[in-house]
Amino acid sequence: MSETLKPETAEQVLDAVKWAAASESPLAVKGQGSKEGFGRAVEADCRLDLSGLTGIGCYEPNELFMTAGAATTLAEIEAALRQNNQQMAFEPADLGILLGGEGDAGTIGGAIACNLAGPRRIKVGAARDHFLGFNAVSGRGETFKSGGTVVKNVTGFDLSKLIAGSFGTLAVMTEVTFKVLPAPEKTRTVLVLGLSDQDAMKAMAKALGSSHEVSGAAHLPEAAAKGSKVSHVAGTGRSVTAFRVEGPGPSVEHRCRALTALLGGGASVEELHSENSALLWREICDVRLLDGDGGNGRQVWRLSVPPMNGAGVAEQLTAGTGASVFYDWGGGLIWLTMDATPDAGHETVRRAVEAAGGHATLVRAGADVRNRVPVFEPQTGALREITARIKEGFDPKGILNPGRMVEGV
Amino acid sequence: MRTDFTLAQLADPEIDAANTILRTCVHCGFCTATCPTYVLLGDELDSPRGRIYMIKNLLESGQPATAKVVKHIDRCLSCLSCMTTCPASVDYMHLVDRARVRIEKTFARPWPERVLRALLAFVLPSPGMFRLALKAAALGRPFKGMLPGRLKGLVTMAPARVPAASAVDRPQVFEAEGKRLKRVALLTGCAQQVLRPSINEATVRLLTRRGCEVVVAEGAGCCGALVHHMGREDQARKQARANIEAWEKAGVEAVVINASGCGTTIKDYGWMLKHDPVWAERAARIAGLARDVSEIINELGVGELTEKGLPAVTYHSACSMQHGQGLSEEPKALLAAAGFEVREPAEGHLCCGSAGTYNMLQPELAGRLLERKVENLKRAGGAVIATGNIGCLEQIAGGLAGGTGENKGPPVVHTIELLDWATGGPKPEGIP
Amino acid sequence: MKMPQPDAGVIARRAEIIEAMQAIVLGEGVITDEEELRVYDHDGLMAYKGLPLVVVLPETTGQVSAILEYCAANEVKIVPRGAGTGLSGGALPLADAITLGLGKFNKILEIDYDNRTVITQSGVTNLAITEAVEDEGFYYAPDPSSQIACSIGGNIAENSGGVHCLKYGLTTNNVLGIEMVLMSGKIVHFGGKHLDSGGYDLLGVATGSEGLLGVITEVTVRILQKPETARALLLGFPSNKSAGNCVAAIIGAGIIPGGMEMMDKPAIHATEDFVHAGYPLDVQALLIVELDGPEVEVDHLIERVDAIARQAGATHLSVSRSEEERQAFWSGRKNAFPAVGRLSPDYLCMDGTIPRRKLADVLQRIEELSQQYGLRIANVFHAGDGNLHPLILFDANEPGELEKAENFGADILRYCVEVGGVLTGEHGVGIEKRDLMGVMFTEDDMNHQQRLKCAFDPAHLLNPGKVYPTLHRCSELGRMFVHKGKLPFPDIPRF
Repeated sequence: MSETLKPETAEQVLDAVKWAAASESPLAVKGQGSKEGFGRAVEADCRLDLSGLTGIGCYEPNELFMTAGAATTLAEIEAALRQNNQQMAFEPADLGILLGGEGDAGTIGGAIACNLAGPRRIKVGAARDHFLGFNAVSGRGETFKSGGTVVKNVTGFDLSKLIAGSFGTLAVMTEVTFKVLPAPEKTRTVLVLGLSDQDAMKAMAKALGSSHEVSGAAHLPEAAAKGSKVSHVAGTGRSVTAFRVEGPGPSVEHRCRALTALLGGGASVEELHSENSALLWREICDVRLLDGDGGNGRQVWRLSVPPMNGAGVAEQLTAGTGASVFYDWGGGLIWLTMDATPDAGHETVRRAVEAAGGHATLVRAGADVRNRVPVFEPQTGALREITARIKEGFDPKGILNPGRMVEGV
Repeated sequence: MRTDFTLAQLADPEIDAANTILRTCVHCGFCTATCPTYVLLGDELDSPRGRIYMIKNLLESGQPATAKVVKHIDRCLSCLSCMTTCPASVDYMHLVDRARVRIEKTFARPWPERVLRALLAFVLPSPGMFRLALKAAALGRPFKGMLPGRLKGLVTMAPARVPAASAVDRPQVFEAEGKRLKRVALLTGCAQQVLRPSINEATVRLLTRRGCEVVVAEGAGCCGALVHHMGREDQARKQARANIEAWEKAGVEAVVINASGCGTTIKDYGWMLKHDPVWAERAARIAGLARDVSEIINELGVGELTEKGLPAVTYHSACSMQHGQGLSEEPKALLAAAGFEVREPAEGHLCCGSAGTYNMLQPELAGRLLERKVENLKRAGGAVIATGNIGCLEQIAGGLAGGTGENKGPPVVHTIELLDWATGGPKPEGIP
Repeated sequence: MKMPQPDAGVIARRAEIIEAMQAIVLGEGVITDEEELRVYDHDGLMAYKGLPLVVVLPETTGQVSAILEYCAANEVKIVPRGAGTGLSGGALPLADAITLGLGKFNKILEIDYDNRTVITQSGVTNLAITEAVEDEGFYYAPDPSSQIACSIGGNIAENSGGVHCLKYGLTTNNVLGIEMVLMSGKIVHFGGKHLDSGGYDLLGVATGSEGLLGVITEVTVRILQKPETARALLLGFPSNKSAGNCVAAIIGAGIIPGGMEMMDKPAIHATEDFVHAGYPLDVQALLIVELDGPEVEVDHLIERVDAIARQAGATHLSVSRSEEERQAFWSGRKNAFPAVGRLSPDYLCMDGTIPRRKLADVLQRIEELSQQYGLRIANVFHAGDGNLHPLILFDANEPGELEKAENFGADILRYCVEVGGVLTGEHGVGIEKRDLMGVMFTEDDMNHQQRLKCAFDPAHLLNPGKVYPTLHRCSELGRMFVHKGKLPFPDIPRF
């Protein structure tokens, strides 16, 4: 990367993109760079560093939204929210350590661009569901906005959805507005020990199909559980299936009891309170429980499948291969880790996921592997055409993060 | 909604009334969802909202009805499910009645259609003629293959065995058991007394047991609903006037009706004759006395229970009961009070396809509705099916029997027969 | 309202087009007679009407695909239509377009309780989904007022809301996948029973696209287990301002009610006259706050809301003690439109969303406008998320009243945008708010939206004349005015 542009205002971003479009100089767009290793390596000489676009612009707790510069750190936002007992309900994951960097990094723009979401995804949605509006500069070198500050808004196409999860390939966000929500008064976790993967899927389906408003349902096979820093989890020597319950105090107690009764049936059940509970879900959210994963270069896949198919897909991919998994989202999200191979086993992985219905993303692998193997679910036919045409419409010169999602796009 | 009638058109009280109704419709479309024909066909043209709009255009234009408009209006069952759903209380019933009259007056139906309608209008309202026709149909059954289209259907529909006429249906007065609480007239009706004489018998037993003196009035006959729904306004009014006169003479506190289709019509006599200076007031008074039998029993209570271990009952609410008269809870409450476990089928708001003469005039749609209804009723799982309208009763019994005459599904009886049984009457036929 | 000039060439080919449609859809599914077409001349918005070229009612995705393929090849426009309950005129026919009705797509295809999903055809009504799963205690959360009749496909096209979306989200948050037929006739699937997608979020952009991107034929939604209990509070206030403050205070206390609705005085009186819900008549504003969840939680929150309401100056407080009473509290609100409809033969329903804190302001402005225009108004309001439904009462039989009502409505929406809100919260832009888009968006904003359209429907054959005041040709939108080499390297800090 020969050059880094570091704009400090939206106008400077506009200038930079205009220049890049005119001179057809591809830009690698970055916030703090915490997720640079996510996706394909960008084919660009020049880096557009947005880390100057920070600061909370407008935060009105009673209106349940916040507007902030795109590169405002999640840490800053979370601190401001905490003061008002609020939170970003979609729990943006901190993938810093997983991706081989530092923890506690990441910006709001990055979380939205990657459409990250933590365990609460099953209840409240992903970043896309909390992203209300933005100002951005498209690859055409034009400023545009979409959405607003209110939750209920159907005025025009919902471009926020398009931008969330587009990995900076369509537009450079300069300012974002997102929904914030009250933080729960109390959080507890119910643990069921010793379930097989298949039985865990059933237990999670039962809990999520109940009225107990479970806000996290994860299953850690024994090896994954062992990696937890929560001694109650690591020390059981068995698999751990975890259910998170949040809300006003009396309600949480009531629902934990109800869940215990619902899931008990002979299995041993325990509860985690406050700090231990928070730590466990942090570990799950940030993907810190992968078996034997000390940053030792193993490859990591993220599989999204219908929840009840989770165990079946994992069984196919782990049986006799040395790969291992843990599950979030009631079984619908599988984190798979395996020994590094030149093709990351992508054909096998994708075949299994396709049969179950879903998609797979290669989250961690060497840059060469990520450039050889499709990182995101490959598209064919009409889907591929639409994707290409959208890119063409928003970034006709292909200057924004070219190749980040799909080779040549 | 906006209408475009001329002042001259509005001078006609019937058009004026239609205009008032049309203006209340805001075209929200809620009615489409609960309309049986829209549920089947998914076409706005066969929905209440579509029909209202077509009727508006028909009446505004002042032109004769066309074959297309007639097709869609004819498909309406007049089940009035739309009126239960309508949040704006659009009086669809009187609007579609108006359209039917306009069609009858301005549209020349093809001759086989005309013959069929004339035949139904002549035969059905008269128990004597109807009984004769059924016997003829029973004889004709072996030759049905030779009959044309819908006539073949009619013959198939006719029961193999026609019960003998009941003594109950002759003009007379039944004394109340014990203290007389009320003097009521019973509409003995037309088709019902031929097809199921046991219903009137059970009704008389139950009413007298509950302290009613029951009058079967001389001169009362068919309520007029059958011809009314064919747009034969004059014939319907004539039948209404005959009934009004008969019940006035009988000097009763209530007119009890045990076929909800008839009840809906009699309760509407006031509207039917409102522009008739001689009859308007009298019609309104009789309409005000009309009660479904379930309303009267609800008022008087079912009485002492004599049967135990009664079967579970799936209750089919007739459209004329729930939508026409707004009686959804009363019959179920009575069955429960009499000791029956009451079950309700899914899609209870949808018509079974009987709808007066609909199953004879629109056999294809009626058949599809029946099939759907029978499935839902079977799934509800009661050992008996009860309903308060003879049309539904025969239609559903036919559907359960698969049209072969062999009854495979649960027996179908009138609600009142069950109440009578639970309180001292005989067990209705067909219940094991 | 100006619609695009119909293409005389297409109209001239009508007979040929009809023949082609009849080859694809047999029987009554192709409607061509004028008096039958007339029935399709508008949707839930009665203010604008127009006859379609022809109406086609296909029954299978294959037929939809064949129709669109033919139309793409022959440059025939398509106006998709669900249940025709939309309030923004999104299904208003065009003289040179086929109205493609999905009324026959009315089957529920699969219920999967373990994965908590239902797959249905797109013409199935919103309520039918809930009815299909309620025996097992489940429901589909978004509940627009027209839920009895509106189709799930239409819900997706408009991204419908409802009274419970404050807590449970809009359509876009509850739909997992769709099958869509593109204008080319190609059938695509976005999403499924799994979460999120492996590329651009095309499911997300299709939601709320008002029939401009494709024809939705199949839908996968997520279903939820019903809360254990729900209870409602009825709170009366002496002013709109105090009611507005109460709403803010409830949210500020960290409580997200299942529903939080507000009515102003005219709406309270109209509904009370109509359904006799037991509303207090001596108040200026009424709030219905519903809390749901386990009984202990509901009891706990009711106490807190009660205290907040007293603090905010509520003069009437009652809490539902039974399910019947809760339903009664809601009956007025749910029947507000027809109740208001009884006051006047016609009404226009506006749909702006505003920041909650501006509530009293906006109501004040609406009142002033009402006097200025000489038209009565009643307000119902999804207070929890700031979505306002002013109902403008008028009589379409009076010459000039519709125009007056439209101008009044436009002024309200302009004010909504002025205070930081938006033109439409859940009804869609359609034809009704099309010409106001410029109040909220710049030309560049709209052009970027239209570039998305170009990716799906480059010839602009799907539902033209809706949403955007001017639809630019895709070739024009694709052009880029850059002057190679003339732009200097920007003056930005660099390293």
